[in-house]
Amino acid sequence: MRYGLPIRPLFLLLAAAVSLSGCGGPKDDRVRITIWHQDRPDVRDVLQKQLDRFMALHPEVKVEQLFKETEELRSGFIIAAIAGQGPEIVYGPSDQVGPFQVMDIILPLDSLFDRTFLDQFTPKALTYYKGRLYKIADKMGNHLTLVYNKKLVPVPPRTEAELVAMGKALTKDTNGDGKVDQYGLTWNYTEPFFFIPFMTGFGGWIMDEEDRPTLNTAGTVNGLKFIKALRDEHRIIPNEADYNIADALFKDGHAGMIINGDWSWAGYQKAGLDIGVAPLPKITSTGLWCGTMVSPKGFSINANITEEKKRWAVELIRYLTSEENQMEATRTLFTMPTNRNVIRSGFVQNNEILRNSQIQIDNGQPMPVVPELRAIWDAMRPSYQAVLAGSRSPEQAATDMQLQALQRIREMNE
Amino acid sequence: MSPSLRKNLFIAFLVAPAFVILIGVVVYPFVYNVVLSFSNMNLRHIRDWEIVGLRNYVKVFTEPSQPDFYVIFIKTVVWTVVNLFFHVVIGVFLALVLNQKEIRGKGIFRTVLVLPWAVPQLIVALTWRGMFNYEYGSINQIMTRLGLPAVEWLRGPTEAFIAVIITNVWLGFPFMMVIALGALQSIPHDLYEAADIDGASWYHKLRNITIPLIKPVMVPAITLGTIWTFNNLNIIWLVSNAGEPSDSTHILVSFVYKAAFNFYRYGYGAALSMVIFFILLAFSLVFMRRTKAADAVY
Repeated sequence: MRYGLPIRPLFLLLAAAVSLSGCGGPKDDRVRITIWHQDRPDVRDVLQKQLDRFMALHPEVKVEQLFKETEELRSGFIIAAIAGQGPEIVYGPSDQVGPFQVMDIILPLDSLFDRTFLDQFTPKALTYYKGRLYKIADKMGNHLTLVYNKKLVPVPPRTEAELVAMGKALTKDTNGDGKVDQYGLTWNYTEPFFFIPFMTGFGGWIMDEEDRPTLNTAGTVNGLKFIKALRDEHRIIPNEADYNIADALFKDGHAGMIINGDWSWAGYQKAGLDIGVAPLPKITSTGLWCGTMVSPKGFSINANITEEKKRWAVELIRYLTSEENQMEATRTLFTMPTNRNVIRSGFVQNNEILRNSQIQIDNGQPMPVVPELRAIWDAMRPSYQAVLAGSRSPEQAATDMQLQALQRIREMNE
Repeated sequence: MSPSLRKNLFIAFLVAPAFVILIGVVVYPFVYNVVLSFSNMNLRHIRDWEIVGLRNYVKVFTEPSQPDFYVIFIKTVVWTVVNLFFHVVIGVFLALVLNQKEIRGKGIFRTVLVLPWAVPQLIVALTWRGMFNYEYGSINQIMTRLGLPAVEWLRGPTEAFIAVIITNVWLGFPFMMVIALGALQSIPHDLYEAADIDGASWYHKLRNITIPLIKPVMVPAITLGTIWTFNNLNIIWLVSNAGEPSDSTHILVSFVYKAAFNFYRYGYGAALSMVIFFILLAFSLVFMRRTKAADAVY
């Protein structure tokens, strides 16, 4: 058998492949900027319109948006940026800032944007960490509210007692088969993020000013007891509900109220529901509103960016956070803007949903940006779920949450 | 240039691209992982990490984590054994049925039975998660219609673990079926005819002809299946929503994922993944040797 012969054709083939690879059309020498985000399809559509307009204004730049699921975005950006790669701009809620800053993979922005530009935003839109600015937000929120189906709930409850009473009236077996067909309230109650309003309503919070966990408190215990009672005693929420189940129940008219975030409203309206948005109720015994975590959503710049691209990234962030673009997003998506003029505008001030959204934002607390937050979520989840499964008492769960959080933070920071 | 040198050069030329890719995607990441496993790379030392010796390995076996390493290890073994058992039994059984001459419409049956394998795992996992819902899931609805009590599949630790196993059994048997069917079709028919003449029963034919002759194909398939199942992060992560309830459905690989990517403990995660690697390496070597998988049959 001869092996020598085929070498020449193989080389020719390779050479042809290499030379042909350059024949894919005219060379695109535009500056490429990529944005990674974790936004839903309707937000992506608005963003794309704005990017198209930006590219029309600046033909020398090509901007691409790339959707990544929240966790994938975080871990993917870390891996890429540590290796000196990654998108030029990363967009998302403010809790990314802590870990990204500690890993030195995002740039401080205070030297890139002038004071006049920054002053047009409400202070909560600018995420500072260790004294430097790392994120400029175009949307406020990521916050939970009480969304209600106006057909079933003409006036939303203002206190937890009203919530329970209304829930009882709404929860019914409509076809008489012995199973509940309509619940008063539903939400993704297995996830600790959705537990925060009840924790704060009963006077608790997750960490102190020095970022130490504060989970073993009466606020946690009473919040846990309240949710358990909603399910087991008052029976106004489904026996089991994750995000998708709760969402589907509400969309199909099988639940009068849902606790969900600002990201969900447009979807419910699109599904043909006549919804109202109200602040989460006040807990009578403490006199406190159920406050949620509030997070600005905005833009950070990859620390690996080149000087040329940095100039364009700054220009792009200026453009995307501008008054007209924020107004467009607010009108289309019902998200809370961060630009002072847009907040003061008639549209925001007169829109019932946005007005109530603002009240909920005011009732809430800023989401901590420190990396320790992740350890706290993870410490809360098992104990919280154990309470719901009936295998742990709320008191024991609060103690375990605290111990676990301390251990996880120690492990993370060693 | 001598003919043998030319021959060797040509072989090297053909192998080179695959070799380069192999170094890039297997050897380099593996060596990097080994190095990381001895390092303190984590959130606080992501760029300035240094070698710290066996500290991570000691932690893997001694750190009081919740859940505990040994508990997760036992769960991983149970997960793998139960899954593999059902994959092989259901897969071989269906292959035997489909291999019968008398069956009509084999192509349709084969296509339908391969479907679970063809559907993306993400869709399978999320569909099953919905099906396991206590009130609205189809599984409980069927059970209650049959007069059985509804099960809180996703709320109890044991039930949730059974739920992820059921999902993975459904997902995994087509692979074994396809492999077994291929092996069955390669068995010469005259062996069965000779056995018929000798008056062998179906059991004797199964035991003395079918099983020994499909073994060389099935053993590597089972070894592969073991490695895949042992490392099957997707199903655990998606069906049980990242180990819910209360981190009770984790297997080793989902635990590593959490340590490395949720808590930025890259050194510890690398050490734990090396432990998993050695467990699987030891299993594969022992299993292949004990089953004499590499030996000739004829």
